[in-house]
Amino acid sequence: MNIFLQQLATGLSIGSVYALLAVGYALIYSIFDFTNFAFGALMMIGTYAAFYSISLVNIPLLGAIIIAMLITAIASILVELLAYRPMRAKKASRLYLMITAMGVNIFIQNLAIQTIGGSVKAFPSDWAKQVVDFGIVKMPRSDILAAVISLTMLVILWHFLYKSRLGLGIRASAYDTRTAGLMGLNVNLISLTVFAISGFTAGLSGVFFGMKYAVYPAMGGISNKAFIAAVIGGLGSLPGAVIGGIVLGLIETMVSAYISTTFRDLFSYATLVLILLFLPNGLLGKSVQDKL
Amino acid sequence: MGYARGILILMSINIVGVCGIIILTGYTGLFSLGHAGFMSIGAYVSAILTKYFGIPFLISMIIGGLIASLSSLIVGYPTLRGKLKGDYFAIAMMGFAESIRLLFSNIYPYFNGALGLSGIPLKMNLTTSLIICIIVVFFTYRYLHSQHGKLSISIREQEVAAELIGVNVTKEKLKSLLISAFLCGISGGMMAFYYTYMTPNTFSAELSNNMLAAVVFGGMGSISGPVIATIILTALPEVLRAVARWRLVIYGLLMIVVMLFRPEGLLGNKEISLYPLIQRLKKGKRVESVIAKEGK
Repeated sequence: MNIFLQQLATGLSIGSVYALLAVGYALIYSIFDFTNFAFGALMMIGTYAAFYSISLVNIPLLGAIIIAMLITAIASILVELLAYRPMRAKKASRLYLMITAMGVNIFIQNLAIQTIGGSVKAFPSDWAKQVVDFGIVKMPRSDILAAVISLTMLVILWHFLYKSRLGLGIRASAYDTRTAGLMGLNVNLISLTVFAISGFTAGLSGVFFGMKYAVYPAMGGISNKAFIAAVIGGLGSLPGAVIGGIVLGLIETMVSAYISTTFRDLFSYATLVLILLFLPNGLLGKSVQDKL
Repeated sequence: MGYARGILILMSINIVGVCGIIILTGYTGLFSLGHAGFMSIGAYVSAILTKYFGIPFLISMIIGGLIASLSSLIVGYPTLRGKLKGDYFAIAMMGFAESIRLLFSNIYPYFNGALGLSGIPLKMNLTTSLIICIIVVFFTYRYLHSQHGKLSISIREQEVAAELIGVNVTKEKLKSLLISAFLCGISGGMMAFYYTYMTPNTFSAELSNNMLAAVVFGGMGSISGPVIATIILTALPEVLRAVARWRLVIYGLLMIVVMLFRPEGLLGNKEISLYPLIQRLKKGKRVESVIAKEGK
């Protein structure tokens, strides 16, 4: 029973980080109907921003997290302004948008490998490594921090989306971007805000993954899990992304503990295939039919 | 001379794989990032069949391609049916390639896991690979200039309208996927018999990205465009050894730039041909004869 509770706690902690990541991705998908493949690269930027602020400039952990979030948000906005907005202005097809996003991902990831070096580094924060004993369950401080901050961010995001005017505008855009623009919403401002929020979540999750695992330029690959989580929850649904993330985290941890650690990712992928076979709209998604 | 021979063999191997991507992405408009997974399956199956069971390499390559094709259904069937958007397919393909790599890294009987399979007989010489390459390109050309190709183009351009006309969109998409997986499997087999040693990590995302880059730069809707782009992209790293390590950075940047300024790529949906040249020569002759007549 103890092992089960321990795994449950770990699963919820990693699940909340996946949830955060999935929400960042789902936010952009629900508004622009577009998969931001550069999401992984942004996450990596966040991790390295925090890494260098702690190791080079000696900023305390909390400050480093905030810096990571800001830098990733700025990077996200730059990518939107330079690459995505011109493509949308040209009314490019989905395929071209996906290729552009992939190009951004390849560019940023390989630029990092060439300039910083591909070696794997450990996250330089001893505070985060200490383990807290709750009696039945032991968790490293990084996991607790990740769970707490992720859940807080999700609550803040929920308040912003459902209780503020800009949030209302974002939700309106998510429902129907073109009409929202016709109604007088500043779609450019909304798109910048959404990419900034997406950048915040990417940077934050990047820091937590860096703390839990390691820091290396190819870590953008973890964002695949975010995509899978978003699909499990239902692409385009934000609560779905949260639930999908937590479910994925729990499945992963349980599989690692009770079945096998090497094949953990295989099981995540198998979950994706099963969901696509039997529940293609995910757990909470709306039926995605093209309206004629 | 051996060096140039090696580059030519590499070009043929890449062209075979790129033909698969031409059919899938260039003509049907499906975005896939995981075709290295099919190459991996094709390579391992053909290498194991020839090395441990003594099956002649041509047959084992074909079997490898067929098995790669069948495995594409795992990804293809759930994501290509119904009205699911292309994003599902792209995400599932990424996961697929990763899963195959993970799976093969952990099977030790026959596959030798993460240590890699060595001692594969060297069967790829210049003649064999060129012949396979020419057959594949010819097949791709005939396939894409037939009704199959036209149906694929209709799906790429306007899926909803295609369905209204009566195109069975799911079937056509699955067809493109199956054939592209088969061709990538053959390409993987060629790689196995050329390098004689491979690990699951040989078939990385970089390989998929290279093939995609060739189709994007060469032009979607063209066959000769991506083939020429593959030739250039295979030869370029050798020529530009000094900046070789920035290759992928430049590819990424170039993809963005091409999409922004010339999304149709090098040749768009035209093929390379001598027709315009011949027309211009004929026009020259006609103008000369008119001037000659007027002059009189």
